[in-house]
Amino acid sequence: MMLTLIRRELLDNLMTFRFAVAVFIMLFLVVANTAVLIKDYERRLAGHKTEVQKSRKYMLDGKTYSVGELNIDRPPNPLSIFNAGLDKRLGNEIWVYYGHVPTLWDAEKHSSQNPFMNILSSIDIVFIFEGVLSLLALIFAYDTLAGEYERGTLRLVLTHPVSRGYILVAKYISAMVCLLVPLLMSLILAMFLLTTSASFSLSMPDFLRIGGIIFASIAYLSVFYLIGMLISAMTRRTSTALMLSMFVWGFLVLVYPNMIVAVIQPSNPPEERRASVHNHIKQIWEEFERERKQFLATDRHLEGDPYGNMRWRGGYNFEHFQDKASVLQHYYYAGAEIDGFHEEPESQALHVQNYHRFLVPLIIDTAERTWRIREPVLEELFILPATIDRAWLRLSPTGIYDVATQALAGTDLQGMQDFFTAVQQHRQSVIDYYYDKNAFGSRQWFSADKETVDWRTLPQFIFQRSDISLNVQRALPDLFLLLTLNIVLFIGVFLIFVRREV
Amino acid sequence: MWHITKREIYDNLNSLRFALTTVLLLALMVTNAVRHIREHPKRVQTYRDAVTESSARLTAHADGSLYKLAQYGPGNFYKKPSSLHFCANGGESILPDTIKVGDPPVFATDSENRVILQGVWSLSYPDANLQNKNVGPKVSQVDWAFIIGSILSLIALWFTFDAFSGERERGTLRLMLANSIPRHTVLIGKFFGALISISIPFALAALVNLLLISTASTVHLTTEAWGRLGIIFALALLYTSLFVALGLLVSARVQQSAVSLMILLLMWVTLVVFMPSTLASIASSFSPATSFDEFWKQRNPIEEDLWDKYDEWLWSSKVDDKTLRGKSAFFTENAEREERRHEERLRYRSSQVYRARAITSISPATLLQHLIEGFAGTGFERHLQFVENTQRYARQLREFVADTDRADPESPHILGVREGMSKKFITPESVPRFEDTLNLSRDFNTAAMELLLLTLFVLVLLSGAYLAFVRVEV
Repeated sequence: MMLTLIRRELLDNLMTFRFAVAVFIMLFLVVANTAVLIKDYERRLAGHKTEVQKSRKYMLDGKTYSVGELNIDRPPNPLSIFNAGLDKRLGNEIWVYYGHVPTLWDAEKHSSQNPFMNILSSIDIVFIFEGVLSLLALIFAYDTLAGEYERGTLRLVLTHPVSRGYILVAKYISAMVCLLVPLLMSLILAMFLLTTSASFSLSMPDFLRIGGIIFASIAYLSVFYLIGMLISAMTRRTSTALMLSMFVWGFLVLVYPNMIVAVIQPSNPPEERRASVHNHIKQIWEEFERERKQFLATDRHLEGDPYGNMRWRGGYNFEHFQDKASVLQHYYYAGAEIDGFHEEPESQALHVQNYHRFLVPLIIDTAERTWRIREPVLEELFILPATIDRAWLRLSPTGIYDVATQALAGTDLQGMQDFFTAVQQHRQSVIDYYYDKNAFGSRQWFSADKETVDWRTLPQFIFQRSDISLNVQRALPDLFLLLTLNIVLFIGVFLIFVRREV
Repeated sequence: MWHITKREIYDNLNSLRFALTTVLLLALMVTNAVRHIREHPKRVQTYRDAVTESSARLTAHADGSLYKLAQYGPGNFYKKPSSLHFCANGGESILPDTIKVGDPPVFATDSENRVILQGVWSLSYPDANLQNKNVGPKVSQVDWAFIIGSILSLIALWFTFDAFSGERERGTLRLMLANSIPRHTVLIGKFFGALISISIPFALAALVNLLLISTASTVHLTTEAWGRLGIIFALALLYTSLFVALGLLVSARVQQSAVSLMILLLMWVTLVVFMPSTLASIASSFSPATSFDEFWKQRNPIEEDLWDKYDEWLWSSKVDDKTLRGKSAFFTENAEREERRHEERLRYRSSQVYRARAITSISPATLLQHLIEGFAGTGFERHLQFVENTQRYARQLREFVADTDRADPESPHILGVREGMSKKFITPESVPRFEDTLNLSRDFNTAAMELLLLTLFVLVLLSGAYLAFVRVEV
């Protein structure tokens, strides 16, 4: 019986005009946009590669440890074509300096694109699904029950000894099968396009992630189909059902997500708190500065000058405080690359070495201390408002779907933070390497006259995108939310339909 | 015809969709107003503070010798926030709102860090803000451009999808055409009926919005702003009629209203949501950016060239005419080149944005977005206008310095060097001040092309609807 019902519904749906249109529009939009997105990704990847080469060259150019320019460039995430998330927006160039803990907020953007282009809107595959899949689901759903009621066939079907639940399940399954055809076809074509592009190297976990995204898409599709069914079960006429469905679609997809972010009071960044913390960080560095001055003053060989008043044969040095109040950035930055000294007594250089052996660990220590203050405040200033916004967005299935796919693609905030955590770890390993080499107390710290630094033995920065299980773990709450929504809606449809008079 | 229109309006007024539309538009417009009232005073305050500071800098530079004014120039320039910011946000958070006047470049100092060679001021244009600290979700701003561009167009389709197909289904179309009314009258009647019934909730919502905004004591709308609002309202009607015409066209061609709605919705999604973004992505892939390295690479040879040219005069401390003229020429040329290079960079980038905007203009939604931005005084066009205003003022100020110097017979008339300029005192009041203004006729001129295109779209669709309806079999 069930099979007969499903077969009937399937045939009903497959032979319609709307099915043809659905397939066509999905294929058209997804394929056209995938081609554009692949191009965009290739450009970003090329930009990343030149940037990596450039920073490697800069690093090798540095002759002393203290001027070592260790820049790290964030590679674009290939899955960003499914959901761009924060991948394109956030900074992708970060500088690793032993005296400052690098965070997302310190990252800059390398200029691979005209920044004015950002006033134009951008797109990704999930965005297409958000708009079109939901619309198609509602178009398939609005007349499933109301239409049969209007035509009188519902009464006919119910005269047979079939339970109403069966009818609902049959309708649901067959419509979902029909809707899956355009979804899967477009995705297969998109994947085909991806594999033809040379720059995409998708690994097995990537395919699993894409699988996760497809699963989320199906759940999202089903939510909207059930919403459509709910409306169809409640109304007696198809035209009313259609009208209501479109209204609900417009509201959930278009109006609510944009409106809610505008409505909720943008929790004013506590300016005073930011200023006070910034001052606190500054004070810590001032304390450091006093200590440094004191050390210089007590060593009578140096007479207050970090380089012991030796006369140079070329080279340069610098010393200042870097400050950026908006992201609570404040640190001491100093370095030197001295080509050689005139008639220098060996003991004087030893004093300079001694000074650096004292200074650099102090810088690292102070950086750690300020980091402990800075971290929670950054969280409060930047992450908290974004989290609140996202929480409100979850009231619409579109918001849930967006967050879930972002987490799966690894372009969500946590995925981005993974990279910066890796950079922080890299900084730690660079510091360890310096300790191992006794770099701070060495002559190569500031002078290139005897020996230059061999940067090739420096630990390499390796970044692996987070493990698939971690991605799934992050997406799980939202996927669960989507599935729960499905179940609740289905129960709702069932209850209404069972109690309905035919 | 009036009968048909009236009938349509009565039909619509009693329907569910009318009620839902009114609620939806009201909610959006109130949100928009509340947000504007909350945020606009802050924007204005920031602008005022910045302008006061900049003005104080100019006063400080002008209080004393003419040389100081010639050397340091004005303070930074700030873009005046538009009072119609609620109509179109126009990527204001991305576009920079200042043009910087850097401190005059120091070319050489002596061993005790005293400046011995210092040039004159020049303008520099900051880059767009990259917003790379924003980790919030990506949403569009709820401004009038969004409400009209996305919501109102959707509503227009919602009101017209069953205009003919619905009547045909119910059989009333045959009845109506049995009367001796020409078909085009029916079409026009339907068109105006739909347009008016959409305008009613929209006008109502817009009124509530403006009422809230204009009664708020912190926001002030001038007469010109009201005029601009009138234009924007007319644009909204023009844009809505485009979608009404589209709805009538499809509705006349298609037998069932459900199919008609589906076709219309998918067309809408493509036109309004996807075309702007996809075309923008395509357009930006045509636009390679000059990196900062290249910028420096271009800069350095020019700089060296300049140094070579004027080398013989720069290091002499003589105050004879030739040396001073040499120094003066070096300073002015240096400032000019610096400014030109910045300007070229800006122009190169703007031309890319222009091209991208031209490509995305195929979609009527983007056309409308650009038009509203243009008339609300926000967005990219406005940014360029601000740049133009500053450049004009910079010329004016330089001319003022030259004129004042020329008026003094004792001066050797060599600008940019202390010994070569008038020693007379000037007062800050006599110096021209910068004012960032908007010009409605200029806005009209830049919008003319897009306005024409939009009108053309409407006409084509209307005649399409006419042709389709005339040939339809009942």
